[in-house]
Amino acid sequence: MSYVDAGYAISLGALFVYGLGLGLRRRRWERALKVVEVGDAAEPLAPGGRP
Amino acid sequence: MWRDALLVAGKDLRIEARSRVALWQVVPFAFLVLLLLSFAIGPDQSPLRHAAPGIFWIAVLFSTVLAVQRSVSIESGEGTRDGLRLSGIDPAGIFLGKAAAVALQLLVLQIVLWAGVTFLFDVRVHVVWLAVVASLLATVGLACAGVLYGALSAGLRVRDTLLPILVLPVLAPVLLAGSKAWEAALDGNAGSGTEWLRILIPFAVIYLVIGVVLYGPLQEAA
Amino acid sequence: MKSTHTTIPNAPRPRWLSAVGLLGVLAMACTVWLGLWITPPDQVQGNLARLLYIHPPIATVALYWAGGVAAVGSLLYLWPRTRSLFWDRLAASAVEVGALFSALTLVTGSLWGRPVWGVWWTWDARLTSTALLLLLELGYMALRRVPADPTVRARRCAVAALLVAVDVPIVHFSVDWWQTLHQGGTILDPGFHLHVHGSMLWTLLIGFIAFSLIFVWLLGVRYRIEVLQDQVGNQELEVSLADRWSEDTVLAGVGGSSQSPPSGGAP
Repeated sequence: MSYVDAGYAISLGALFVYGLGLGLRRRRWERALKVVEVGDAAEPLAPGGRP
Repeated sequence: MWRDALLVAGKDLRIEARSRVALWQVVPFAFLVLLLLSFAIGPDQSPLRHAAPGIFWIAVLFSTVLAVQRSVSIESGEGTRDGLRLSGIDPAGIFLGKAAAVALQLLVLQIVLWAGVTFLFDVRVHVVWLAVVASLLATVGLACAGVLYGALSAGLRVRDTLLPILVLPVLAPVLLAGSKAWEAALDGNAGSGTEWLRILIPFAVIYLVIGVVLYGPLQEAA
Repeated sequence: MKSTHTTIPNAPRPRWLSAVGLLGVLAMACTVWLGLWITPPDQVQGNLARLLYIHPPIATVALYWAGGVAAVGSLLYLWPRTRSLFWDRLAASAVEVGALFSALTLVTGSLWGRPVWGVWWTWDARLTSTALLLLLELGYMALRRVPADPTVRARRCAVAALLVAVDVPIVHFSVDWWQTLHQGGTILDPGFHLHVHGSMLWTLLIGFIAFSLIFVWLLGVRYRIEVLQDQVGNQELEVSLADRWSEDTVLAGVGGSSQSPPSGGAP
């Protein structure tokens, strides 16, 4: 593999992997927010009542 | 004892995996040491190439201090150490476990640092087995001595400044022997390199044994 | 119980961001196609010149776009009139994405330098200051991960980001101030004569556009993650507060005192 190919592969590869990682993290946090919000909405109806 | 060691090692490593302190702080710190020493030694490639093994090991030594401080601070919370003592876990096992966790982090660091040194100083290791064995032995010694002295300074307020002063002189033989062994590995001179292994081996063994024996009493005293 | 901390309600993803991302990918594909196939090899450097379609754009993004956003964002956060966590989060995202681009700058530069200069690395001013930039950015990221109240963290990180930004002009002027192995301005030298011509120029320009668009997209997504993290943290805090208060009401209703219930194991 030539230096040029390596350069293109590493750069584009790294950006792609990072971008993918960001996308997945974004989705995970969006889902986490939805879960917490649903829990928040349900709170006033059922008292916490943890022993 | 071995099972306890594995337990403690697993705990320390899992904490590290969650917090990633070693990754984000210790590794950049090691590279920073490389960078600063390169500033000091100057832009000419030749003196840098000769100094490369020493620079590598200084970076590892300083990083050991950081890693040990981190390892000690895991149990620095109120009563955590007492809890650990009362839990019935063999103190020798605790020592081995903590030392193993530190050693593992140091090994990973050395791999990354080695790549960095090769890249930045334009050197190549010609006698790979020598370098690897030297690293392994040195790491055992560094981790054991480090965790031991970490326990010594554990309860103290001045821990952060005391630990480097206590432990770095003790680690100096590792610096010397490690640098020389690596120098031999870079030059392709296996014969002279093995002489230095003869320092690293007793160092590792001695501190391993001392640690196993003294860690318990040290904990009681702290 | 309505939240008082959230700065942005749980908005759907901005449409423009996806458009930017798509354009960026397209531009990148063009760059690769042009750079690796269409353009001819350089007369002097041969095929190695193809790396120069990606190395300068990546460096530009790392240094000027990322560094610029981080610096400006931090200044705007520190200045009371414009203080808003928006700037802090933007700066933090810029530093993180910038660190990746700084690292790639060094990698692509080394890959070019090895066949041309014969070494992977040399301690000349531009390379060293760029390596320093990367380390400073990593330091910032480590600092950011220390748990703290958002405003405290924002102030600390803003100062740290400004210290990172100090290195930016050093990197920029390093080729002028010191004797370096790295060349000075190629495209626009101080005499403002364009050196690159024809299809090479087009490829380079499209490369700049491509990497810039990708940077904006990464910045946008990273920023949104920052916001979401803070929002989830806030919501979780409010859920536990709500739990605690409703427990007190239950206990009070049952006739007990309104003490907080025992918290798990013995202290």
